[in-house]
Amino acid sequence: MSSEKVPVTVLTGFLGAGKTTLLNHILSAQHGRKFAVLINEFGELGVDNDLVVDADEEVFETNNGCICCTVRGDLIRILGSLLRRRQKFDGIIVETTGLADPAPVAQTFFLDENLREKARLDAVITVVDAVNVLTTLDESPESVRQIAFADVIILNKTDLVDETHLEAVTSRIRQINAHVTIHRASRSAVALDEVLDRGGFDLNRALETMPNFLTDDSHGHEEGVTSMSFATQAPLDEQKFNAWIGPILQVQGPDILRAKGILYFEGKEERFAFQAVHMLADGDYIGPCKPGEKRESRIVFIGRNLNRPQLRRGFEACQS
Amino acid sequence: MADTQQRPQPLITSHGAERAFESPITALTATADGLAFAVGTLDGDMIFAPLAASRTPESWHVVHVHEAAITCLSHDPVQRDAVLSGSEDCCLTRTRTSGDMTALYKGRRWVENLAVTSTHIAFSYGKSMELRDATGEKTLKALDHPSSVTGIVFDAKGKRVFTAHYNGASAWFVNSDANNVRSLFWKGSHTGIAIHPKGDAIVTTMQENDLHGWRLSDGHNMRMSGYPKKVTSLDFSRNGRWLATSGADALVLWPFFGGGPMGKAPRELARLNGIFCTSVKSHPCHDAIAAGFEDGTILLIDLSSEQILPIRYGNSQNDAVTQITFTPKGGAMAFGTEGGSVGVLILNHQIVT
Repeated sequence: MSSEKVPVTVLTGFLGAGKTTLLNHILSAQHGRKFAVLINEFGELGVDNDLVVDADEEVFETNNGCICCTVRGDLIRILGSLLRRRQKFDGIIVETTGLADPAPVAQTFFLDENLREKARLDAVITVVDAVNVLTTLDESPESVRQIAFADVIILNKTDLVDETHLEAVTSRIRQINAHVTIHRASRSAVALDEVLDRGGFDLNRALETMPNFLTDDSHGHEEGVTSMSFATQAPLDEQKFNAWIGPILQVQGPDILRAKGILYFEGKEERFAFQAVHMLADGDYIGPCKPGEKRESRIVFIGRNLNRPQLRRGFEACQS
Repeated sequence: MADTQQRPQPLITSHGAERAFESPITALTATADGLAFAVGTLDGDMIFAPLAASRTPESWHVVHVHEAAITCLSHDPVQRDAVLSGSEDCCLTRTRTSGDMTALYKGRRWVENLAVTSTHIAFSYGKSMELRDATGEKTLKALDHPSSVTGIVFDAKGKRVFTAHYNGASAWFVNSDANNVRSLFWKGSHTGIAIHPKGDAIVTTMQENDLHGWRLSDGHNMRMSGYPKKVTSLDFSRNGRWLATSGADALVLWPFFGGGPMGKAPRELARLNGIFCTSVKSHPCHDAIAAGFEDGTILLIDLSSEQILPIRYGNSQNDAVTQITFTPKGGAMAFGTEGGSVGVLILNHQIVT
């Protein structure tokens, strides 16, 4: 029996964006990997897969009394059962309904002990409909949150709009989530290695491929959701970092949709990957940096009411 | 281990035998006649291990009962050589040791919990608990809950049935025409349930590393916390003085006497440093608790003398003990593990049923 953690991909996207098409694409592609899939409705899914499980959407507040710290009870039960047979598949895909908030799904992997031991949140993939997204964003706060939570965005139906429109859409997405990886697609046709098994979570690769990581200073207009990132080449003091991030998540957690970072701590060869959803944080050492890679600690916050100078000063004060 | 030679021989080798199966063991019960154990697997197989064949595991009989994991198993209140099983294939089934099967229920949700008395069967799927007569043929009522039912237990007299769910527990009167529920509220996700043998208290396991209890006389809340891990298994001792639980690297016992458990520290026995207890089961007739650990170790602990009898020594990272049970009079014991091992042993040859 493998002791490796099973990667979990959370698939979100507004109604009609193309989630099911993407799921069908993933399940039918010849990649030699087997996925267990949790969906809310069997509906259009025409794939014969004995590991497809029907899920409820029971959202539970956790016991700390914070309304933002929600988890999915059905997900804990179903994944708990699936993970006992984890040698039978290579990954798990959780499809959420079009109106769902991805937070309770993502937080479940941080909070449940059994899931933390056996599974890891690989990436949140949000499918976005290039034709309708601008209207949807104006009308639906859920769609803003789905983009804010994403590690990877599949910008779908790009064959139905022109380049100018695509650029406007991309710019709008970047206002919310400046550092997300965006893949353009039509009929959800994307190279699967671009979206699956991204390694812990996508920040690692997102940061490598994001030349404007530090220069981007776009401002959010969607419910005030925006992203801010900071970097420093000086090694960080682990204790100082924990003493700083803990209270930030405690106080501003409801406003922080996601926070992610790759950190170099003083005296540690390995990089530390940190991620948080609202008030819940998780992290792990993910191996030494690659040859030629800059030893730089980077962190990004996506949320509302973020105070850039305050966050920057706090992060820089974590230097050892 | 270096001290293997010095350790007493485990009881499984002298008094029983075990057999390895490919699928994790997910459920276990003895038949009401006490002549056999039934073991449920993640693949939907049922293994029948008659006590008469406790030393010849190769003769144990495997029946494919369900198309998905068996989630719960119970003796059958009517057919003394049969068991009831619930499964992720959404069925409740009666299977006799001969292999004869009867489907009692087929739905659209996992059948996840099951409890029986001599007169009733209660099982749950999703947010519903269905109450049937003992034959399992007649539905008496279906009781709806605000969220998924995560545990069912009858009181000793079979008059009330309790369920665990999100934000608390519910108590229903079995014979009442009106479905008046008594709600026991406590915020959070409750994942399992146990009842005091004298009906004094209800205790639930929680999503957090805590237990929550309600004293039934006045609804007083009891919190039992301090666990390093989630509690997945709990059972009251025969006389109700102690509540045995998993969740620590020892058997944790909460006192339910002298005003406890409120304000009392739990007793901890059979500590295996760094190896966590995963399954507990009270002996039906003696003040003893069987405790299974995450490495496959099983110990039988006498609560008064604190003597420890090794049932099985574990040696694996992936062989956590998932199930332990006794025959109704406690003359025999069976266990199952995550790695698929099933063991049966005779504890008392005078009481084989």
